[in-house]
Amino acid sequence: MNFGFLNPLFWLGALALAAPFWLHLRRKAETNKVKFSALRFLDDQPMARRDPFRLRDLLLFILRALALLLLVAAFSWPYIHKSSELAVKESRVYVLDNTMSHQAGDGFGHDRDQVMKEIAQAGRDVQIAVIELTGQPRVLGSFGDDRGLISAKLKDLQPSFQRGSYLAAFHQANTLLANSFGERKKIIFFGDNQENQWSENLNTPPFLRNVEVVLPRTAAAQAPNLSLSEPRLQRIFLGDKSLVNLTMELAHTGEARDANVTLRMNGQVIFNRPVEVDKQPGTISLQAQWEADPTLWLRGEATVTGEPDVLAADNRLFFSLAPLTEGRVALLAQSSYLRSALSPDVMRGQWAARILEPTMIANELGTNDDADVLAIESNYLQLADARKLLHRYLDNGHGVLLMVNRLTPAISGYLRELGFAPEPEPATANSTVERIKFVMGNHPIFHPFVSSDYGNLTEVKISKYARLKAPNAVPLVLSESGNGLFFQSTTARGKLFVAAFGFDRDQTSWPLHQTFIPFLDLALQAARAEDPTPINYEPGAVGLVQLPGDTKVREVVLRDDLHELSRVPVAQGRAQIAMPLTPGLYGLTYDAGTNVQKVFSINPSPKESQLTYTKAPEAITNWQLSAAPETGKAAAAPSPVRLNVAGIWRQQFWWWLIVFGLLALILETGVAMLRREPA
Amino acid sequence: MIAAPTSASLIERFDPQVLATLEGLDMKARYVMEGFLHGLHGSPFHGFSVEFSDYRNYQPGDDLKHIDWRLYARSDRLCIKRYMQETNVRFYLICDTSASMGYRGDLAWGSKLDCARLLAAGLTWFLLRQNDAAGMVSVSGSEHAPQFVRPSQRASQFGLILRQLESLAPTGGACLAQLLEHTARLVHRRSVILFFSDLLEPSAEVAKSFKQLRFQGHECLIFQILDRDEVEFPFTEPKVFEDLETGTRRVVTPATARQTYLARFNQFMAEHRELFRSLEMPYCVTRTDEDPWRALALFMAERQRLQ
Repeated sequence: MNFGFLNPLFWLGALALAAPFWLHLRRKAETNKVKFSALRFLDDQPMARRDPFRLRDLLLFILRALALLLLVAAFSWPYIHKSSELAVKESRVYVLDNTMSHQAGDGFGHDRDQVMKEIAQAGRDVQIAVIELTGQPRVLGSFGDDRGLISAKLKDLQPSFQRGSYLAAFHQANTLLANSFGERKKIIFFGDNQENQWSENLNTPPFLRNVEVVLPRTAAAQAPNLSLSEPRLQRIFLGDKSLVNLTMELAHTGEARDANVTLRMNGQVIFNRPVEVDKQPGTISLQAQWEADPTLWLRGEATVTGEPDVLAADNRLFFSLAPLTEGRVALLAQSSYLRSALSPDVMRGQWAARILEPTMIANELGTNDDADVLAIESNYLQLADARKLLHRYLDNGHGVLLMVNRLTPAISGYLRELGFAPEPEPATANSTVERIKFVMGNHPIFHPFVSSDYGNLTEVKISKYARLKAPNAVPLVLSESGNGLFFQSTTARGKLFVAAFGFDRDQTSWPLHQTFIPFLDLALQAARAEDPTPINYEPGAVGLVQLPGDTKVREVVLRDDLHELSRVPVAQGRAQIAMPLTPGLYGLTYDAGTNVQKVFSINPSPKESQLTYTKAPEAITNWQLSAAPETGKAAAAPSPVRLNVAGIWRQQFWWWLIVFGLLALILETGVAMLRREPA
Repeated sequence: MIAAPTSASLIERFDPQVLATLEGLDMKARYVMEGFLHGLHGSPFHGFSVEFSDYRNYQPGDDLKHIDWRLYARSDRLCIKRYMQETNVRFYLICDTSASMGYRGDLAWGSKLDCARLLAAGLTWFLLRQNDAAGMVSVSGSEHAPQFVRPSQRASQFGLILRQLESLAPTGGACLAQLLEHTARLVHRRSVILFFSDLLEPSAEVAKSFKQLRFQGHECLIFQILDRDEVEFPFTEPKVFEDLETGTRRVVTPATARQTYLARFNQFMAEHRELFRSLEMPYCVTRTDEDPWRALALFMAERQRLQ
């Protein structure tokens, strides 16, 4: 049997024992002394003892001191520890993985039931806490909480579509364990051991000290799955047709041979056909295009079905596309092809061109009416006003499409300022006609050209171009000889695209090629300032809606097809809005209006669709502090803190101290009253 | 001109409880003095200052209102009445601040020092209203350093003396002899010294100092302030008595000690009475549980004598 004090600090309260001394002596001094001014007439009276501090009533003093001592001792929560009594042998934190990947094969439902079962079976000497791992780890129940309440919360849990961090959950569990009483500290993880989760935090510094981690058993290294992700939509104009180009990725693991993909747009099925996935790469790019009204929001949904597929939550993909608003382009170019391509006959509804003449540049600088994009040929850069205009566009965050159709020392110098250093042409360059060899297919300008429906860019011939050395720019198009033909600057404040040639027949055949109009449209769209409010989010993410500075909108409202989900006030043209937890399409309206201003598409993280598991994650080893394990003797030694408050209150010892303390106080009162009676 | 205040009017006016609740020495002094003066017959503010002195011939520029028209009717002479408005007498307030002055009995409205302060402030107010010059000598701190307020007739002198009185604290041991010594050293011209003390100190040294003051030609008015406990020794329970100044502790059984105490106390009082009588110093005893009119009446009578 061991004896201890749970809260030794309470013994500081024993200082209160000085109180009866003080009271006793003070009262004595007060009642028995008179400070007098004419004592010189009493000098025949006997001198008083110098020290008046003597105990007058020993019994009273003992009773008071005893009462205080007992009460102080009681409130220091003394406990008697017996091996068979209520010691906390183990503190256990269950981490329940409620990320989307754990829905595979109803792993979440199974693990939730298992946690509830283990909580019910755990003895009273086990402390239990439960953490739910979703977008952010959430403590469902702490050590002091009622187990029934924790089980009820577990029962109410629904599978989520979010992706959370294993590391954050383990950190949270470790924090809980740091304040626990158990001799053994244990984290029991109920999850799917997704490999990309463990590998994400492989190099995290160790933080688990004396904590035992129990991981789930992984039955297979991989689970069969079909999923859709990475939707990209673009509007493309071919002649009079307004097309929508969609690309998305179909990922498949397992033994599925084919998958049926259905695409719906604004309630209509665009296509519904099987896709053969057998013997195909793990990720297949799917592309579709169809005609669509450019003035409408597009709300689309793609689904994939197939067998075997253990995770149905990632079989739907949502996407949206904003209606087209006509852009404005200022054209400072002599190229007749460019002027024709940007004429209202060709670009009506897409681009309105304002053709600038050299004499108009000064006026243009005087006004503050910039277009969305400035298309300028380099020979105009000899004019100081043209250079100023280009700088203004970039500084104001607008786009610039610069075509280097001519190089003079002045133009070369200015190009160097922009980060493009012209190099001397080789002697044989004049006679060489090169074709486009490589284009960056991931770039929004060239992504649609990955499909041959828009024409073959490699047929475009470049007969004369400037050799530009641009270390701070990304070459998007390369010639056969490896020279950059089309660049995007990475340093300019606005978007700067530079073509190493002019769009004239003496320099390129591109203006006559069928890809020219789509390319020009896409290049101008890419150069245009983007909408500052993204429309694609993951479940539960926080979106920042930015409105124009002079907006009168007071609230933004997020709603689905039927209901209003949330209403957020607008402050300084901004509103932070929490996205729904369920994938889908959600509209944003302003104040009491019903016009949908934006359509948000909520899709789960594609990483959650990667159902590859690991049996022995290396990260766990790295997270453990390499402290020497406790020896058997040390483990058996009594912990300085063993009981919780409830356990102490159940001990009769504590109550006896209180009772004796109060008894002493009652006796003291009685004795004090008896002492007063004679007076 | 001076008439003793009727006790009825004083009783109506003077209430120790009211006095105890008044805050500020200024208020207390005005309360007491106005109460005292209210009981006098006639206008107190004209009692001294407008008293007729003599005549002088009218000179151009004199105010016509001062011409005695009755004399003019009788003698056909234009004469101006002169009044005793100015005095050459300087008044010094001397206040004992020994620890014994801090004693306050159960029935007293304040300590002896409070009473001394009140009397001093009231008399100062009165003197300044009558265009007399008032100053003050006191000691402070454990070293009994002297503090001197030069006599003046200005109205601001009242505030100066009030502040000085309020700063007095009953600390330290016997300081009476030192205080008188400082007074004798600082006050050169013939002056009137108003002395407030309980005089509970060995009388040999004090008597010597009083004699010195008298030798220097000063007029001294002695206000001995005592508490009822000191005069009557009303204690009944045996207790430890601790001396306020020396800290000496004695176990006193009042039943047996009272007689001896009173005998020795009366002897002490008689010695002082004899001393001040021999030195021709007006002397009165004021108790802290009684109204201070006795002291004020003494002062009034003496003030008239000195004019």
